[in-house]
Amino acid sequence: MELTQVRYFLALCETLNFSRAAEACNVTQPAFSRAIQKLEEELGGALIFRERTLTRLTALGQEMRPHFETMVEAAQAAQALARAHQNPAPRSLRIGLGPGIPATPITGAVAEILRVLSGTEIHFSEAPCGTLVDAMLADALDCALLPADAPLPERLNRWPVFTDTPRLICPETHPLARKNQCGLEDLAGETLLLSDECGNFGEALARLAEPPLRTQRLRAGLGQMQELVRAGLGVALLSDRAAISPSLAARDFVEPDLTRQILLTAVAGRPLHQAAMGFIRLCRANAFA
Amino acid sequence: MAELILPEGAIFPDFMLPDAQGGLVSLNGRLRHGPVVLGFFRGTWCPFCKLMLEALAEAMPRIADMGASLLALTPETGPLPAALQTRHGSRLDVLCDVDFGVGLQAGVVYRIPPLYRAGLIAAGLDMELRHGNAAWCLPVPAIFIITPDGRIARRFVDMDFTKWPEPEAILDALAGLR
Repeated sequence: MELTQVRYFLALCETLNFSRAAEACNVTQPAFSRAIQKLEEELGGALIFRERTLTRLTALGQEMRPHFETMVEAAQAAQALARAHQNPAPRSLRIGLGPGIPATPITGAVAEILRVLSGTEIHFSEAPCGTLVDAMLADALDCALLPADAPLPERLNRWPVFTDTPRLICPETHPLARKNQCGLEDLAGETLLLSDECGNFGEALARLAEPPLRTQRLRAGLGQMQELVRAGLGVALLSDRAAISPSLAARDFVEPDLTRQILLTAVAGRPLHQAAMGFIRLCRANAFA
Repeated sequence: MAELILPEGAIFPDFMLPDAQGGLVSLNGRLRHGPVVLGFFRGTWCPFCKLMLEALAEAMPRIADMGASLLALTPETGPLPAALQTRHGSRLDVLCDVDFGVGLQAGVVYRIPPLYRAGLIAAGLDMELRHGNAAWCLPVPAIFIITPDGRIARRFVDMDFTKWPEPEAILDALAGLR
């Protein structure tokens, strides 16, 4: 298959009318019909029911339409990025970060966008998952990193980008700092600090713990949480990708395994500007080892 | 299908794709340094691609001597482009053709027929996960030799995914550009 054919088919999906679709594509109707027929031959089935009064998509046509839209979008993105690289213009890239998801893993991709599309303004928004989803749907955000267990509407594309494992954060002088790694059993007698803004590692553990853990609920971001740990209020579970202050100890938390999958999400079919297209593609091509 | 593939003499449209090392690479950026050997590869799981990439990696010093660079495009995403890069060394550049955008422009993408698809699934190859889309498409093996002005000087295409050109043929074609 080939870009022109696929574009013709998508024009036909829009108009459901051969002559109008051919006109929209600036070709004669016989050439247009031949191209559609060729595409059908290659796919091994009809894409369109050709009836006298009614043109509509077959099941195969309906199945292929969103895939073709994605592929055409990709072709346009690859070209648009190459062009944009040569024509600097003011652009912005608006990235949402779900609770407790640090920007650390994606800073390389952000830096590459700034290198290739100089003049791009980067906006990070940290907020609860629902707020970020609403912002994407309202076109106030280009994309967002969200945990896989967040409720996501169908309209969002999602790609797993990396996994996020917690570490236990405690003061350097704390007995747990002497261990190489720790688990639930080490938390007996400790106070575990919980904050919605720090990911739900602590909550997930508290739900599993028997006997119940001593917990303290707070509203604090990753930085404030570290201040509170340093002040001796308790210990916390934070993403292993979060930058931890050197005055605190961070130990692998291995039992139980609280690893969560982080998804890159964006609204399907939404036309994006070049910085966002490039960023999403960089993230999707990355190993995030 | 071969008639839909970009022919010799045509301009290969400029593009920019992510590479396996977290960068964005453009075709014209590479062409500024000399000719480009551009290949479409199915991915880490394909033994024929592996053999071809091994042969190309071995020929890479001679390709580089002719001032040319090698771009290996794969529709695979996530950690797979980096795996391909690691396996075949740093002298060729693995690019991720996300959602077959460049493949579609080159006319090399086809939809996997149902029987073959069933075979791939039975072999545990989930293309949806590998490609990050559910289109179930693949590129045909194709290698384009592109001159610094963007023109396709030679094209090696075979619908049969087991058939790849000999590296010598690619080197000869590059030598013919000088």
